[in-house]
Amino acid sequence: MELISPLIIMNNTSSLYVNFLRLNGRRYLILAGLSIALLASLWLDLIAGPAGLSAGQILSGLLDPETLELRYRIILWDVRLPDALIALAVGGALGLSGIETQTVLDNPLASPFTLGISSAAVLGASFAIIVEPVIPFVPSYAILPTLALCGALASSAIVLVVVRVSKGSRGMVVLFGIAMFFLCDALASGFHLIADADAAQQIVFWAIGNLTKAGWLEVTIVSLCLLLIFPFSMRQVWVLTLLRGGEDHARSTGVNIAGLRTWVIVRASILAAFAVCFVGTIGFVGLVGPHIARMLLGEDHRTLLPGSILCGALILSLASALSKTLIPGVIVPVGILTAVVGVPMFLSLLFKKKGQF
Amino acid sequence: MVLKVSDVSAFYGKKQILKDISFPEIPQGSLVGLLGPNASGKSTLMRCISGEKKCQGTIEFKGQNINETSQKLWYDVVATMPQTPPSPTALTPTELMWSTARSLALPLSDKDLARKIETIFDNLGLRSFELSPLQSLSGGKRQLVGLALALIRDPELLLLDEPTAALDLQWRMIVLDWVKKRVEETQTIAVAALHDLDMAARFCNILVLINEGEIVAVGPPEEVLTTGNIAHVYHVETELGLSQRGNLQIDVIGPIASRG
Ligand SMILES: Nc1ncnc2c1ncn2[C@@H]1O[C@H](COP(=O)(O)OP(=O)(O)OP(=O)(O)O)[C@@H](O)[C@H]1O
Ligand SMILES: [Mg+2]
Repeated sequence: MELISPLIIMNNTSSLYVNFLRLNGRRYLILAGLSIALLASLWLDLIAGPAGLSAGQILSGLLDPETLELRYRIILWDVRLPDALIALAVGGALGLSGIETQTVLDNPLASPFTLGISSAAVLGASFAIIVEPVIPFVPSYAILPTLALCGALASSAIVLVVVRVSKGSRGMVVLFGIAMFFLCDALASGFHLIADADAAQQIVFWAIGNLTKAGWLEVTIVSLCLLLIFPFSMRQVWVLTLLRGGEDHARSTGVNIAGLRTWVIVRASILAAFAVCFVGTIGFVGLVGPHIARMLLGEDHRTLLPGSILCGALILSLASALSKTLIPGVIVPVGILTAVVGVPMFLSLLFKKKGQF
Repeated sequence: MVLKVSDVSAFYGKKQILKDISFPEIPQGSLVGLLGPNASGKSTLMRCISGEKKCQGTIEFKGQNINETSQKLWYDVVATMPQTPPSPTALTPTELMWSTARSLALPLSDKDLARKIETIFDNLGLRSFELSPLQSLSGGKRQLVGLALALIRDPELLLLDEPTAALDLQWRMIVLDWVKKRVEETQTIAVAALHDLDMAARFCNILVLINEGEIVAVGPPEEVLTTGNIAHVYHVETELGLSQRGNLQIDVIGPIASRG
């Protein structure tokens, strides 16, 4: 009697289970599609540039650096590859940071930047450019990112204090983040006033955001940051998903909302701070990457978190490729192009979904 | 002895919301109706029993004191359906059920969990919406999703905060009838905050009437729902009668002119 026919097993398996599996399967396919798109855009980003390297040379140079002339090897391995990879790392970090902030503050406009993190980084960078301070044990080229990082982390620390004091009230956190944004912006403007033309331009250039100053060290730091934080985010996917059902429901399930907000904002701030301190404020990715992922993948954070990383990385990578090809011989700062790439992607999805998301 | 509530007081800031709430021990298999006007403290009492809100006094369930039980253990046996239904987002009922079950760490395989969700959805008429975004569901259906969420952990104490407020006549009946049967079959307890006195009289074994954070009356429906109590608490004049089938009928004549 232990023989169970396959038919009975089929009947025992609930149709809800089958439908749910199918839905999840479709989402994993979308993730796979996004990964392929990301590889393609990485490739586009690598072959774009003024040096006249052919696609074949790049491929063989990647597989075996020795086949390239020294000049080309340096261009590929020390310029293009780190630039292309930092686009992925920064885009991914901002995507993850953005989706977690949006979910936990239940605010579609929330992003690392509405928490005041970017403007604090600009403030730190402006200080570094104008005052040119000397910090012991920090080499001069690292002073700007260090100060930008300090600014970003300091503002996150203040936001965290607000989270604790307000017992995790999301309205307070969003409002305070915006207040921080204006405060840092005003202080940074003060620096711009006393800056000479050269320094002022440097600040503007930094504030727009560009990837070309990044090397392997920066790539390593941002990637490590993302790789270290991602598992912690994935451990909370269930709680984050159920939080989308509303705060009251989450609380009745025993979720400690203030604690959850604290942890998520710690994670999101660290990610955003490290992401922007090397490349400037590429703010838009952290806002729109998550929304694109949400529209493609729905609200289940098991797929939404990786999807948001992929979307953020994809936008920034495409923008980076475009920044080198748009005007021949000129590299347009990528911060300008993220919006140019992101908005059409965003709008096309929005119209396809008829505003329902 | 199963649910015991004695001398429970609760505050929001300095304002005292519940004043020494006590009622007799509630035996297992009962559906308790918690009645009272708006802002009388029904939701607050629910939150105290569910463990969401700290309060003074004693709350015991099956001999376990709430203050001496770990949060995890308490939430394993006590489930609340909050007054607000799940938010209208793009999340689907199945995803919400699934993530709730998983974050509670219910010991179920994926298949068993799916079957359980399916059964609950079948009972509540939610099968055709199982994968529709919550924002596309009507208010009543979302309220039913809220009830489904509380049922996923097979609670021994089920706290329902106005479970039928947004439901139509048919579902109001089905839900209360079903909760009553479930409570009797499994010998558990459900407490439901209700505004619908006829329904409360019909389905609940015990009614608790509160006003401004204080107990006004506790007991079987016919003892609690008297014209005097209703006038005192709701400030309306009523006439009580029995329908041909023997159900209590409350005929509201009008407001009592002199309030307070
Ligand atoms: N979070 C809160 N902060 C401050 N006061 C609160 C809070 N929640 C409830 N109160 C107050 O507690 C009192 C009781 O509220 P409660 O929500 O328990 O009433 P209720 O009986 O559930 O009313 P309703 O029938 O309208 O749902 C009210 O005076 C309300 O203003
Ligand atoms: Mg209430």
